[in-house]
Amino acid sequence: MNERESLFRRLSAACAGHDGAAAGEPLPDGAPTAPEGDRVALFAKTFTAAGGVLFRGPVETALSDLGETLRAEGVTSLFFPEGDAAAREIAEALVPFGPFNLTTGAEVRGGSAEVTAGFSSAEAAIAETGTIVETSAGGKTLLPGLIADVHVSIVPAASVVVRMEEALAAFTAYPPRNISFLSGPSKTADIEQTLTVGAHGPKKAIALLLAQDTLSLLPRLEPRVSR
Amino acid sequence: MELDANAFGRSARKALLDKTLQEALGRTTGRFVAHRDAAVAAFPEFEATRERASRIKRDVLDHLDTYLARFIGEAEKRGAIVHVARDPAQAREIAARIARDEGVTLAVKSKSMAAEEISFNEALQGAGVTVVESDLGEFIIQLAGEAPSHIIAPAVHKTREEISRLFERHLGEPRTDSIPELVGMARKHLRAKFLSAGMGVSGGNFLAADTGSVVLVTNEGNGRMGTVLPRVHLAVVGIEKIIPRMADLPTFLRLLPRSTSGQTISSYVSILTGTRRPGDPEGPERMHILLLDCGRSAILEGKYREILKCIRCAACLNACPVYQSVGGHAYGWVYSGPIGAVLTPLLVGLPEAAALPDASTLCGACADVCPVKIPLPDFLLELRSDAREQGLKTPGEIAAMKGYAGVMKRAGLLEAIERIAGVLGQFFTKGKGIGGMPYPFSGWTERRDFPAPAARPFRKRWKIKRGVMR
Ligand code: SF4
Repeated sequence: MNERESLFRRLSAACAGHDGAAAGEPLPDGAPTAPEGDRVALFAKTFTAAGGVLFRGPVETALSDLGETLRAEGVTSLFFPEGDAAAREIAEALVPFGPFNLTTGAEVRGGSAEVTAGFSSAEAAIAETGTIVETSAGGKTLLPGLIADVHVSIVPAASVVVRMEEALAAFTAYPPRNISFLSGPSKTADIEQTLTVGAHGPKKAIALLLAQDTLSLLPRLEPRVSR
Repeated sequence: MELDANAFGRSARKALLDKTLQEALGRTTGRFVAHRDAAVAAFPEFEATRERASRIKRDVLDHLDTYLARFIGEAEKRGAIVHVARDPAQAREIAARIARDEGVTLAVKSKSMAAEEISFNEALQGAGVTVVESDLGEFIIQLAGEAPSHIIAPAVHKTREEISRLFERHLGEPRTDSIPELVGMARKHLRAKFLSAGMGVSGGNFLAADTGSVVLVTNEGNGRMGTVLPRVHLAVVGIEKIIPRMADLPTFLRLLPRSTSGQTISSYVSILTGTRRPGDPEGPERMHILLLDCGRSAILEGKYREILKCIRCAACLNACPVYQSVGGHAYGWVYSGPIGAVLTPLLVGLPEAAALPDASTLCGACADVCPVKIPLPDFLLELRSDAREQGLKTPGEIAAMKGYAGVMKRAGLLEAIERIAGVLGQFFTKGKGIGGMPYPFSGWTERRDFPAPAARPFRKRWKIKRGVMR
């Protein structure tokens, strides 16, 4: 008998006498879908509470505010995933606000002395927790939210859901290798219980919330709404 | 990790005299408790969620054979290689074999109590692999060559000066008293390790049976780095971490960070399923999942099975007056606080850790905060009587307890003793505690101070208050 069989023999003995099938708990009722305005307002509150910085409103002001924040963080280089049109659009539009260089995830991964901001489109955002959802589905890279000093997530307002269940539902049938919930910057309190950002991941987590009508100002910008 | 649980008395005394530790404990535990309470108060669904989580975990334990088989099947379907280990020695053997077969020389590890349980690092070092702890607190502790002291905050007892000295000696960094600078030094050093390591080692907070996913909950992001960048991912997880479905995860995510630190959610949650898919630009080519029995199936069979519902949130530690006073090291093994006082004897055998169930005042604070409703005080009491039945109590302790019970049952005798003790006690102790009493009472005072008897006993005050006596 191999080790696995013998484990299951022990478990079956321990589980014997406990009635019923392994049916699981009925899942909670889906939350009534809140209007987009409410979802977005709640997300703005929770994302900020998680330590994130949110930009919204007319795209020109949002971009210039964002540019200023990146400069204040000492950012010199911007990068975005190759296939992410919205991230490319925003990063390229930001270059004159720096000035910033454009670089690639591969270069940053290879070890770059620059202070970097990584841009990526969120697949969804969760209002309950202030969370940005990113996955590796369809061959997407996770590097901007992983190795950059500052992470900028582009969040179409329509992609904001209320509860975690809604965000996960799209992936339970065919989960990609990596589903990541990102809520605020990388944090640690391991030294003298003092909250400090940027332990491993981004020191600053920024969400750029784009409403549909704002997008029309950047005609080539196509929001990628969560499935 | 080496076991020294029966030295609790001695270690606790040492901890009580350690000024740095006492200051740090006062700071942390109080803050954790306040944050946790505020987060729970701000979340009206907490009680209902807790109830639900407890039911889910009970269902998992009742059908662990079915759920675990489902988990293994789904994980393997998606490219993971699943191993099971009966005991720590076998787990070490498997871990070393994995590292050797994968040709790994450097591994980065994120925090895993399960890995601590099997002395994972020693196993890999034995196979010629360097293991770098990537959680900041664990990294500091590793540099200092010590064992961790807290499920959540391992370096709670280290000051910034001590840490800066460690970084100077081991990383060649200049001295600083700035915490952000210290964090930056560790970040830089560890980033290089993440990028060059062949294997990332993680624990697992949850295992979703319907998808074969390993779920990691972290704040620093080291768990995320180590499971995206290296070529191989090894997860070391106890078999009880199963939840039936990925859809059940939100229930637990609503409880875990709130109970641990008062956060609505931790910075990062990674749901990791199988190996990287064709076309993925990153992610491990190989995923190994090492499932630990190591005493769990035996616990499942007995009266303490509900302890396996634990989600390792550490709320019971922070709430415990004993833990608040002595910290984690005193418990002498991986798990500390009330969960440690129950789980350690069950995993390593009661004779090896019979001192731990006594490390409690039975005040019930742990059960009040436990997000999966484990009856910790009941288990502590039950373990004490097991210890007695197995002859693991000293005759002194048994005699003292018998005497105590005899007195408590006779109201007249108790009153007389209270009167005399009140007068004599105040005279001899000047209101301070009594540290050492002669046999048989030494069975009590060996490991506890006895409070000085009150000048006016409680029972008398009560009667006066009720107007029965003046
Ligand atoms: S026993 Fe309960 S409170 Fe303690 S760590 Fe486990 S889940 Fe948390």
